[in-house]
Amino acid sequence: MTDTPDRDDTDRNSIDLGADASPFDSGAVSTLEVGEPLLRVRNLVKEFPIRAGVFRRQVGSVKAVSDVSFNLFPDETLGVVGESGCGKSTLGRSLLRLIEPTSGTVTFGDEDVTLAGRRRLQQLRSDLQMVFQDPYASLNPRLPIRDIVGEPMRIHGVSRKEAKERVGDLLNRVGLLAEHGNRYPHEFSGGQRQRIGIARSLALRPKVIVLDEPVSALDVSIQAQVLNLLDELQDEFDLSYIFIAHDLSVVRHTSDRIAVMYLGRLAEVTDRTTLYDEPAHPYTQSLLSAVPVADPKRERERKRIILQGDVPSPANPPKGCRFHPRCPVAKDKCSVETPELTEITPGHYVSCHYPLIAGETLLDRTRTLGRNVDIAHH
Amino acid sequence: MTYSNGSTPPPLLAVDDLSVGFHNREGVVRAVSNVSFEINPGEVLAVVGESGSGKSVTALALMQLHPRNTEITGDVIFDGMDLLSMEDEEMRSIRGRDIAMIFQDPMTAMNPVFSVGDQIVESIVLHSDINKKEAWNKAVDLLASVGVPEPKRRASQYPHEYSGGMRQRAMIAMAIANDPKLLIADEPTTALDVTVQAQVMEVLYEVQEQTGSAMMLITHDLGLVAGAADRVQVMYASRLMETGGVDDVFYRSRNPYTRALLDSIPDLETVKETLNSIPGNPPSLAHPPPGCAFAPRCSMAIPDCAEGVPDLVALDEPGHASRCIRTADIEVAVEATV
Repeated sequence: MTDTPDRDDTDRNSIDLGADASPFDSGAVSTLEVGEPLLRVRNLVKEFPIRAGVFRRQVGSVKAVSDVSFNLFPDETLGVVGESGCGKSTLGRSLLRLIEPTSGTVTFGDEDVTLAGRRRLQQLRSDLQMVFQDPYASLNPRLPIRDIVGEPMRIHGVSRKEAKERVGDLLNRVGLLAEHGNRYPHEFSGGQRQRIGIARSLALRPKVIVLDEPVSALDVSIQAQVLNLLDELQDEFDLSYIFIAHDLSVVRHTSDRIAVMYLGRLAEVTDRTTLYDEPAHPYTQSLLSAVPVADPKRERERKRIILQGDVPSPANPPKGCRFHPRCPVAKDKCSVETPELTEITPGHYVSCHYPLIAGETLLDRTRTLGRNVDIAHH
Repeated sequence: MTYSNGSTPPPLLAVDDLSVGFHNREGVVRAVSNVSFEINPGEVLAVVGESGSGKSVTALALMQLHPRNTEITGDVIFDGMDLLSMEDEEMRSIRGRDIAMIFQDPMTAMNPVFSVGDQIVESIVLHSDINKKEAWNKAVDLLASVGVPEPKRRASQYPHEYSGGMRQRAMIAMAIANDPKLLIADEPTTALDVTVQAQVMEVLYEVQEQTGSAMMLITHDLGLVAGAADRVQVMYASRLMETGGVDDVFYRSRNPYTRALLDSIPDLETVKETLNSIPGNPPSLAHPPPGCAFAPRCSMAIPDCAEGVPDLVALDEPGHASRCIRTADIEVAVEATV
């Protein structure tokens, strides 16, 4: 890590978040938020500098992740969805400090991960692991599979003999053969490579795995195999997952709770049923309505809301609510004041000044406001 | 949606027994094997399949855009013309005029050193007599019609100044510049975010409705197929596995591969406990298994499946056909569960 984060040093040693630090500390919990959180993320910020000119002076910054807070509970899968550029991958990497966060805290157990020194961070990574999107880029092409899967064990001082045995077991467990250990990554298909990446992430028996788009490079028939495997492994090894993906159907299938991101901020966090049945943020509703469903009759009946425009640049995010320029039901306040993430019902957090109430659709709201919204008429 | 109303007009495109093979060091890799299908005027035919199933190669072969070391056999009759026997010159006059293509990645499909307007003008001037000034005005109108805001200003911008969704709109504008009879869209929204995908698909539908052109939509996304297609064609390992009306394929599929594919996708509206995944991997096209290519992964496979490639057999519904020797058994299974 060469970049030195310019962090606010004032409360470096404090993980006491104060009474009003985040709605997640309010004490109210839904049925899915069981027990003590395994991972507490508070006010996490990551900004990348934009440099220009001969002296590479900083002329601005890309606000990739802004003030993100959430909890991850034991044995749960928290899905993080959003479109490209919403900061979901940056968020995932900042949690493990593969990217140094600009500010904020990530508390694992009772230790602030953002304060850990190099040595300690290495130890922590045995509990916090990651699986990457691209199974072609994330495996060293010059190493045989047994070395790829065994490398974390070597770093953490597991004896050669034990490592060899465990690599064989891991390969078996993810649906490969122990003798595949002698082969190189190019001899495997995309789905098999992703299995290898998963075996590597399991090597140190972690508690938390951040899965960054683990199936989006795979064909549907292979995707289902990997999703089922992840499901089995979670039960077997008591894992908590942070499942980052852009595909809402996949996230709905795998996640207990889901966080929706838009332009660096959390728009909505709740359990998967509530998110799909009673989405309260206008962005969540439009996102859900845009997803095509593999059912011709339902597709014909659906009223699809078409959002205007593209996602703005995170280098220059809109003032107030970052979604307001595209929001069909935005009011004056939305362009001025940034909405805080607030708990509207137990376990359901929304950052919107005018959240949709249960049963209310975005279409209803546009009618009440006398607005027009583009609806797909196909 | 108009299709199979008894009186059949001549098809716009008739593909008969098309095979495409690529030569490499180990011999010939058959990317498309004995594919036959038709597209009627104004209809949307979706071609679905996983990577390597041959869906894109089929389209490239129709457009004669395949690489040189390619062996093509079969017949492709478009609007009464035999495309495969055409000289390059003749083919060039059809490409971009009668048949236009929309590619997945507009950044690589467009020329980065010409403005978007100039590129649309080029495709107009190439196929008609109007002068450049008129063509420019037409280009601006086209950009407006696909929903590019401030089309006058945007026409003189370069592709890199467009966002992904806007670039894809510009590609559509270019494709419809000469009122093609057939649009081939190869994964037109795969590179886009889902809210932008919805915008672009809406533009495609509108354009297709207005111009009355037929569309061949190549995609891996069954959701997109469900919303867009009149007819569907499922490909696996270079062959057509099933073809039929969109409802026939989604609700009355008689093919184990189609069914397994539909079962393996997570659904947005209902949560399944576990997904019915398809075991194994697609076969290598250089060394295809004997018989049915899906048999090694198929839960219904019997020893006979390895005995030879099954025929594509017509079923009760008009235009519905499946390539599986156990088609009859699947039919029983369907009715038993209803």
